[in-house]
Amino acid sequence: MTNLLEIKGLTTRVSGFTIINNLDFSIEENELRVLLGPNGAGKTTLICMITGQFKPASGSIHFAGRDITGWAPDDIFQAGISRKFQVPNMYETLSVFDNVMVSLQGRRRVFSTLLLRLSGPERDRIWEILEFVELADKASDPADSLSHGERQWLELGMLIASNPKLLLLDEPTTGMTEEGKHKTAELIRKIAQTHTVLLVEHDMHIVRQIGKRITVLHQGQMLADGPMSEVMSNETVRRVYLGKGKFQ
Amino acid sequence: MADAVLRNEADQTATSRKRASANRRQYRAPRFLPLWALIGGVIVVALIGSYPYYGSNAYVLSLLGKFLCFGLFALSIDLIWGFTGILSLGQAVYFGIGAYFVALSLKINYAMDHPTRYGGKFPDFMEWNGLTELPHFMAPLVNTPFAVVCALVVPTLLALLFGVITFKRHIYGVYCAVITLAESLILQDAIIEYQAYTGGFNGITDYSNYATPAFLWFILAVCVVFLLVSRALTHSRVGTVLKSIRDNDVRAEFMGYNVANYRIFVFCVSAFMAAAAGALYAAWVGIISFLDAGPVFSIEGVIWTAVGGRGTLIGPFIGAFVVKGAEFFLSGALASWWQIIVGGLFIFVVLVMRDGIVGTIGNLLRKRRKGATFEEVMEDSDRRAHDRQLDWQPGGPPPADEPVR
Repeated sequence: MTNLLEIKGLTTRVSGFTIINNLDFSIEENELRVLLGPNGAGKTTLICMITGQFKPASGSIHFAGRDITGWAPDDIFQAGISRKFQVPNMYETLSVFDNVMVSLQGRRRVFSTLLLRLSGPERDRIWEILEFVELADKASDPADSLSHGERQWLELGMLIASNPKLLLLDEPTTGMTEEGKHKTAELIRKIAQTHTVLLVEHDMHIVRQIGKRITVLHQGQMLADGPMSEVMSNETVRRVYLGKGKFQ
Repeated sequence: MADAVLRNEADQTATSRKRASANRRQYRAPRFLPLWALIGGVIVVALIGSYPYYGSNAYVLSLLGKFLCFGLFALSIDLIWGFTGILSLGQAVYFGIGAYFVALSLKINYAMDHPTRYGGKFPDFMEWNGLTELPHFMAPLVNTPFAVVCALVVPTLLALLFGVITFKRHIYGVYCAVITLAESLILQDAIIEYQAYTGGFNGITDYSNYATPAFLWFILAVCVVFLLVSRALTHSRVGTVLKSIRDNDVRAEFMGYNVANYRIFVFCVSAFMAAAAGALYAAWVGIISFLDAGPVFSIEGVIWTAVGGRGTLIGPFIGAFVVKGAEFFLSGALASWWQIIVGGLFIFVVLVMRDGIVGTIGNLLRKRRKGATFEEVMEDSDRRAHDRQLDWQPGGPPPADEPVR
């Protein structure tokens, strides 16, 4: 298996603090990787680095064989990386249908979108996606009339629509009910069957439900990396992250 | 790849597919031109266009043409503010430049046939300021079609330059509003300063303008064309992208859109439209001054848009007609009260009808179908205005938990 994402010696400093310290990290194609770590471990920062929101102090990021270090966010998207924000992030006044439409894979330049018409297959695909995230009955509602959970699912649907090579999901279950979390986990598991996914997650139930390989970050460095059971029984991880040896 | 995911899902049950098609049949995509808009538009255009036949008041006729130009100007503000979320307090720059090109050209032509008191065959204000002949760089403006082309192209190029300088450098929001305001002040001061070429404080007056019914119809036609173009623009995929940038520019950027390019594009379209409004205005009223390029006029345009309803295309026209109309008629009828009334109208709209006249009526009609009360609609638009204020910072709300770049 080749590595889809390859990070080498990455270091980030934000206002004097070293958030990520000389990190080596890679994701294989078609992998579902869970990123764990206590608050301030650098999980979200790592995602920001990959998507180009921050520029690294040193180190390199390679994606699908290309060096994307220091690229602009929209170029990195074009390379095939889509990102889900921690807080639901969509276009509030647009309808649910339009939210997905704007996210469809396709042309992004001003003058090529000027005369773009929605084709039949694209229309079918929007409905498939809306059905997939169970929002088809709210297609014409403005997105800000959705509940918190529905917003998270809409954003997942938008990511699917953009058909990326790599999905970065930053705590997609934050603020959800147990039922909602379960449903989200199901969605992610299905997405992961065909996509490479990097999932940041705190909830151990979710991690157990879908996790295969886990990477634990601590103070900007990799603490442990390996299959679920191995990481879970790692003494250092227990001490640093889970504390007091508590699991459930 | 995702198709496979979705196909798996869809194949699970036939009922889910049936449900999907039911939802799909219920979904009504917005139409380019709904029937009510077509009928209403034809009636309004007919009413305005036929005024020369049923009305004899030359003052009202002149106001009609003026208001149409103001409406077009407000529409250009609405495109960038209401649809893309760029607040410009210097839109009059583009209006003013367009107006000055046309006014100068008409004045130069007028001066050829009407020599000044001292026999000069060039604009009188130039003579008063010590020039002895038409400056060479202004000579091409004798050709009015050329001047009209300049009036449209120069502001658009200026907007392009401005857009590249600011939007490419991630300057927007409050900073953009302040910079555009400064831009407007600079132009106003420049016009006053270089009075030998611009007429200075007095502006450019006394040239043969086109205050005929035929020209009113021309203004009307231009307005209709620009309305349809704006509708096509905001209805298209580009328009959806613009609205998504207005709602959440960070998300749009992480969805692969080069937000700066879209902002520059719509800013240029808007400048072109404002310039056209200015050119028509100069030809219609026959007097142009620095005020037509200044910050006060810019802000007036913003007020018309807010009163009429930003984010709606007909709102700016209604706003311009209502506010300007109230101003003109009340200043005659209630000379000492009209400013208070117009000011009160603006405060009322900002406090109570957050979405403007057209936006509020639209919300009411839309939500009535779902059984919402008037209070609920008002609360809803209040809440959205509040959300927008939270966004009111450069780059939108900072993503939670993330250090600022």
